[in-house]
Amino acid sequence: MIHRLGGGFLGLAMGGLRASEEAADGIAGPHFAPRAKSVIFLFMCGGVSHIDTFDPKDNKHAGKLIDAVGFGDNLASMRRPVIPCLRTFTRHGKSGIPVSDWFPHVGGVIDDIAVVRSMWCHESNHFPAVIETCTGHQGRQFDHPTFGSWIARALGTANRNLPVFVSIGRPSSPVQLTGGYLGAGVAATPFQSGDVPIANLVPSGGGSAADRERSMEMLGNMNRAFREEYAINSDIQARLRTYELAARMQLSAPEVVDISREPESVKSLYGIGAPATDDFGRQLLLARRLVDQGVRFVQVCHAGGGNGGWDAHGDIKSHGPLCRATDQPIAGLLKDLKQRGMLDQTLVVWTSEFGRTPWSQNTTGRDHNPKGYTSWLAGGGIRGGIVHGATDEVGYKAVQDRHYYSDLHATILNQMGLSPQRMEITVAGRKVRLVEDGDPIRQIIA
Amino acid sequence: MSTPRPSTPLRLAWTVLPRLVLGSLLFACPLLPALVAGSPSSNLWWSLKPVTAVAVPDDASDLPNPIDRFARAALRSKGLVPVEGATKPVLLRRLYLDLTGLPPTTAEQDAYLADDSAEAYGKVVDRLLASEQHAVRYTRRWLDVLRYADLDEHLPASAGVHLWRDWMIKALQEDLPYDHFVRVQLTGQRSASRTQISATGHRFRVEPRPDDLFALGFLARGAGADPQDLAIASVETVSGAFMGMTVGCAKCHDHRYDPITQRDFYAMKALFDPLVIRKVPLASASELFASGKTMAEVARKRALIEQPMNALAEPYRNRLREERIRMLPAEIQSVIHKVENERTVAEQKIADDYYPILRIDPEKITEVMSKEDREQYQEYQKQLRAVGEGPGAGGVPVFWTVENDRLRETAKSYILTSGDPARPRLNEEVTPGWPFASAPPDFRDGRIEAFSDWLTSAANPLFARVAVNRLWQWHFGTGLVKTPNDFGQLGGMPSNPALLDWLASEFVRRNFSMREMHRLIVTSRTYQMASQAPAESAANLASDPDNSLLWHFPLQRLEAEPVLDSIHAAAGNLDLAVGGPSYELASAKKKGGKPPEESAGHGYRRAAYITRGFSSSRDVLPAFLQDFDVDDGRVPCPVRTQTVTAPQALFLMNSAEIDAAAEALAKRLAKETEGNPARSVDLGFRLVLSRGPTDSEKREALAYIGDDPERLRQFAWMLFNLDEFIYVR
Repeated sequence: MIHRLGGGFLGLAMGGLRASEEAADGIAGPHFAPRAKSVIFLFMCGGVSHIDTFDPKDNKHAGKLIDAVGFGDNLASMRRPVIPCLRTFTRHGKSGIPVSDWFPHVGGVIDDIAVVRSMWCHESNHFPAVIETCTGHQGRQFDHPTFGSWIARALGTANRNLPVFVSIGRPSSPVQLTGGYLGAGVAATPFQSGDVPIANLVPSGGGSAADRERSMEMLGNMNRAFREEYAINSDIQARLRTYELAARMQLSAPEVVDISREPESVKSLYGIGAPATDDFGRQLLLARRLVDQGVRFVQVCHAGGGNGGWDAHGDIKSHGPLCRATDQPIAGLLKDLKQRGMLDQTLVVWTSEFGRTPWSQNTTGRDHNPKGYTSWLAGGGIRGGIVHGATDEVGYKAVQDRHYYSDLHATILNQMGLSPQRMEITVAGRKVRLVEDGDPIRQIIA
Repeated sequence: MSTPRPSTPLRLAWTVLPRLVLGSLLFACPLLPALVAGSPSSNLWWSLKPVTAVAVPDDASDLPNPIDRFARAALRSKGLVPVEGATKPVLLRRLYLDLTGLPPTTAEQDAYLADDSAEAYGKVVDRLLASEQHAVRYTRRWLDVLRYADLDEHLPASAGVHLWRDWMIKALQEDLPYDHFVRVQLTGQRSASRTQISATGHRFRVEPRPDDLFALGFLARGAGADPQDLAIASVETVSGAFMGMTVGCAKCHDHRYDPITQRDFYAMKALFDPLVIRKVPLASASELFASGKTMAEVARKRALIEQPMNALAEPYRNRLREERIRMLPAEIQSVIHKVENERTVAEQKIADDYYPILRIDPEKITEVMSKEDREQYQEYQKQLRAVGEGPGAGGVPVFWTVENDRLRETAKSYILTSGDPARPRLNEEVTPGWPFASAPPDFRDGRIEAFSDWLTSAANPLFARVAVNRLWQWHFGTGLVKTPNDFGQLGGMPSNPALLDWLASEFVRRNFSMREMHRLIVTSRTYQMASQAPAESAANLASDPDNSLLWHFPLQRLEAEPVLDSIHAAAGNLDLAVGGPSYELASAKKKGGKPPEESAGHGYRRAAYITRGFSSSRDVLPAFLQDFDVDDGRVPCPVRTQTVTAPQALFLMNSAEIDAAAEALAKRLAKETEGNPARSVDLGFRLVLSRGPTDSEKREALAYIGDDPERLRQFAWMLFNLDEFIYVR
């Protein structure tokens, strides 16, 4: 359809540089038999309170001013009032794992979930923490890619008609979409939330398919000279590929994003049609349809933009509507994947950039807490119905089986058949990895 | 920080190593105030060293522009060979899109191509730099850095904020010197001499220019939910934009890599602490009289409703408060229950600390009310809403400025725990100041005035360096320092330090004229090089694949605004009116509401005026801007990421905007060439790509179009979808 780049000078230039680099970097996987084909990564923007969701603490410290030495980056002493957790926890499933009344539906599928209660990262503010948790590195001096791009790069596409890495909804930071030094070709393709996940899918100008094919062919011809002149520019190569992809998406994506023909039973599983859950339900059903079609990595950001909707400094009750909006859709996703026999090959991950503190800032809300928080995983070769790791008695620091965020990346890579150590390339003379130092969380792998 | 992870060799190389090498700097932090006073600067981080007068390399070349001498010297040192100059049409398009964000008209193309004189290029440069559309383009670039937004969840200064943008357009058009440009946005005054003396010996403040009031929108825009937000936002924006110090981290801890301590951050914050925002009605006297009358009427009606409403809520409020008190430890309860004047000072502090916890908000009250009471309460709330808001300007247009609040001027400032206004460390008071000051500041003219004098001084090494690097970045896509807001250790070294310093000293020497610096840069050979890497430059490619030393001009993707403006310009639908309130794209539909009004009048205003910002209830930023990497303006955006994505391709292939523009362009081609296909192809290329077609392109296009008018429309569509359209070569 579109003119493809040929040999000649281009082949020479590429052969001389990028191609050899790619051949030498050895990223291409899988490196061993994968347990999962796809990842659905659910990112709750702003920081979910683990204490009010998956990591219950008794309220014996509530109301006390406690000395939070070492909180954030403070070394000075700081006395803050611990606020009571107003949730009730119910033990669910055969595993009896306690889940708060904010996530009753997720509680219903807890036997498929491994809850890791001992996550931590360095950064205690949103943007730095989002960067750290999505790239595995602190700061932006180097153009580190987001981890979906690493997976896209390593595994490539399983369906040429769709992007290999899709991000649905508004992220906290554009860094969550970037291909960085891996190139624009593996960056996330952003889908919007709302009724139109991807705009402009339908050619509007009328004319027959043959006409359109003829004009695309013409476009390819007219681009030829320019593309040969700039063949060494990876953005120009990426642009060629985005046009090819866009053209194919015109054919395949309208059907994939059209959830109207899903049976009512499936839609209601996700809470589609109910006002509170409709938005997120649609996004998760879309995510399932995308992995069904071979998309490798679907990132779904909830309540993104600014600091993120989960950033409950003022009143922890602002979590309530967000939990209601996500609870049934998330449980629906796991059930739907399971009933289709897809859960075994689809790794679902739920996390935030950090958790929240046991105490408030003299409000009824909670502060940022990178020192101890909860992420959970399901499907894709993960052992369900287990709790791994623990925070201290107030829920401040991870104290048992602590896992730096890179361990989560390492786990995801491992389930996708990728060795974190082999995911290394050379950029401007430096060897870089997604996981500089981290290992899969073996205890939760089936 | 919690337990550090064991360092891998890589971490060593990237973070620990520079810290070891530069460890002397970190330990030298307390000594840094001596910097400008001429301390031995050999062990200072490069960006803090004084700008030294760098000699222009004498290389026996005939290159008149010193930029080229510096650039060539760097290339030579690495054995790199610069490529040839760009062709005239390529250069003209590059220059127009860079300086104005608009493509050259066909008449402008003709005039330039026909002018064979040596001054041809320079004349175009001067004309463009003097044009108001240049000011619009560069204002938009500055607004990214200065976090302009029309609305946000907490943006009290939203109304009239576009007047700050319009002020900047005027300022850039009159080439307001950069030091004045910064000073007036910080103080409302251009000049550093702020007082004058009358014949009778009475000293009084110099009256600022009335329109410079709007420059203060810069500070007012930082105001938020908490009164201290303004000061915090000011420090973060000012330090990044004008000092190249990303000090946000110092809000919570001593900066790990840079010589900014937490105390420095809060000392700077203390400069801005007295500021509050103030609403300025922009109306005539008679409009103000009418508005006053309306306000009084509203207040009277509100009082009638509020009285019974409060009476209804009172018992519930008291009950909830008692319940909350009972959750507290017994010793706290007894303090709370004491009458205020019986509490000791310490007890009063405890009571104050717990005040926010015990505050009962209206929605909590309605949660526990009986059904009838709740309905009654909500009825009152409804009535209140119907009557209208409380004190307001009563419908006259307003602008929000800043002013010193007397009470806040006398209040002490403290280090805040985790940057939280509610958590001052009362044992750590800070006095107003800034890092690297050489002497105790003289605040007689005011805190920010003193700071702005220091900041904008020619002796401040950061001020000019950061500015010229930013200007360079806007012309070449990447700065000599890649992180324009971070000249600290995380930002790395400049690719060409001598050139950066020469530009900085030249900027000072030229009285901070941004226009002259633009001219200097775009008239260099370095700027005028071709963007291709021809086959014979394989050696260059091997040793500098990222073109960091500029052996060719970097190919750049057009940013969102010039994409849209170029499309409308080619279609003949671009409205070049300057300034005015921001508008929303027709395609940006409001959630559950009616779509915003179409861009009124003749054609489309420039994309620089599209509303920026955030709302939790709808997408303010249209998908088009998001797809093309535009940020929403809530935080400073010193560099726009450049993505290449399928949604961008889909926008150019299928969007309603492209559809309409292709239609309009096809009509324009047919009309202006009287339906002549050959001339239509010619004109189409020139309108969209700013060059005529090659022979083979023309043949191919003509064969495609034939006699079919629909094909002409497809031809127009194709032009907008070419790589060459969206890239500046």
